[in-house]
Amino acid sequence: MALPKLREFITPADAQGVLNALRNYQDRALIVAGGTFLHGLESRGLLTHVEALIDIQRLGLDYLESGKDGLKLGATALFADLETMPEIRNDPWLGAIKDALVFPPVQVKNAATIGGSVAASCPFFDVPISFMCLDGVVKCRGSSGMRDIPMQEFFTGLFANAMENGEFMVELAIPRPRTRSASAFMKVETNANDLAILNAAVRIDVDESGTCSDARVIAGGGVGETPIRLSDAEQVLVRQRLTPEICARAGLSAKGSVNPISDHRASAAYRSEMTRVMVNRALRQALDRLRQ
Amino acid sequence: MKQIVPLHINGDIHEVAIEPGATLLRVLREHLGLIGTKRGCDSGGCGCCTVHLDGKAVYSCMTFALQVAGRKITTIEGLSPDGRLNRLQDAFVEAGAVQCGYCTCGMIMAAQQLLDVTQTPTEEEIRRAIAGNLCRCTGYHKIVAAIKLASAP
Repeated sequence: MALPKLREFITPADAQGVLNALRNYQDRALIVAGGTFLHGLESRGLLTHVEALIDIQRLGLDYLESGKDGLKLGATALFADLETMPEIRNDPWLGAIKDALVFPPVQVKNAATIGGSVAASCPFFDVPISFMCLDGVVKCRGSSGMRDIPMQEFFTGLFANAMENGEFMVELAIPRPRTRSASAFMKVETNANDLAILNAAVRIDVDESGTCSDARVIAGGGVGETPIRLSDAEQVLVRQRLTPEICARAGLSAKGSVNPISDHRASAAYRSEMTRVMVNRALRQALDRLRQ
Repeated sequence: MKQIVPLHINGDIHEVAIEPGATLLRVLREHLGLIGTKRGCDSGGCGCCTVHLDGKAVYSCMTFALQVAGRKITTIEGLSPDGRLNRLQDAFVEAGAVQCGYCTCGMIMAAQQLLDVTQTPTEEEIRRAIAGNLCRCTGYHKIVAAIKLASAP
């Protein structure tokens, strides 16, 4: 890995050690954990200034907890461990995470971390949009203490996020839904080791009468510089009794709300059409899960 | 600045002076001469650099050597410490799952993790286990056959 200015690989034993290193190196430091996207950043010329790598894997942030308020996922917990949580495997409301974790190769699951996948702020990633549709909250730590950033406000641009210099992510919290809820994730890709051409994560909540009380529709993978929440598509679903026809209408709305990029993976027109298809299919999947 | 760290590889401990950005792949091949682990894409896309870290398959090209000090590393050489091929390696030979051979070591390391946790995997489980490994010769058919052969009761 070519990091021309790299001088130091720091492995702090506690959070204060990380904060000290961040203060010393300012924006010339990079937090690492699994390291699986470092090459992706390096190959885009984004790491030429990095003088220090700060490994946060010795901070004890590899926990996965489930309580009455929801899930608390430590920043350095592995995809492979998240995948084996009984709730992730079985509960309809967490279906989007289960779906997104099908795609990474085993070598990535054994190294990639929850915090790394989120903090990398890559718009093509799968797992972060599954957290987004579940109203996940990033907990980050800085010199003045802890700060919460809702996932839907976290991504601010291509490889950019709302954390400030001197802050690092320590946890992702996912609130437990108060009503019956299901989620799902879908993706178009070229092969198992490529970034998404288009991905979509959805969540539907229903009240006791079976009417949709709230919904989230998120699209990523080339729909923009960040994943996008598609509120218009959500409004197609809310206050409706959900049917395949309603899901199809939401998909059509989603297509109309995105302005994707063209690149070597796919044209903008194809991505637009796949937004419709993936949102529709993800909603149908979530609907099936609600009926289980 | 280099750091001297102990690396636990195939049952031996190696004290190695490592530069901050050195990958495990580079240290295995260039410092320790363990060239069974192959360098391919160097970006986590081909799988031929796969090794085991505490028994789990990882891409050594994406792993910093300084991150794995003190952890148990197994390379392809570690599967046959006495020079005799293990059951999975034998199955690759028997099924003719090797053509140019460049992907083979990584393919075997990925498949070995599957067999370590799943005694008789389904074909889908086998194909998922090697989804992070590319082969440009075989078309995968004989590789899948070899893994099935190794897992047969």
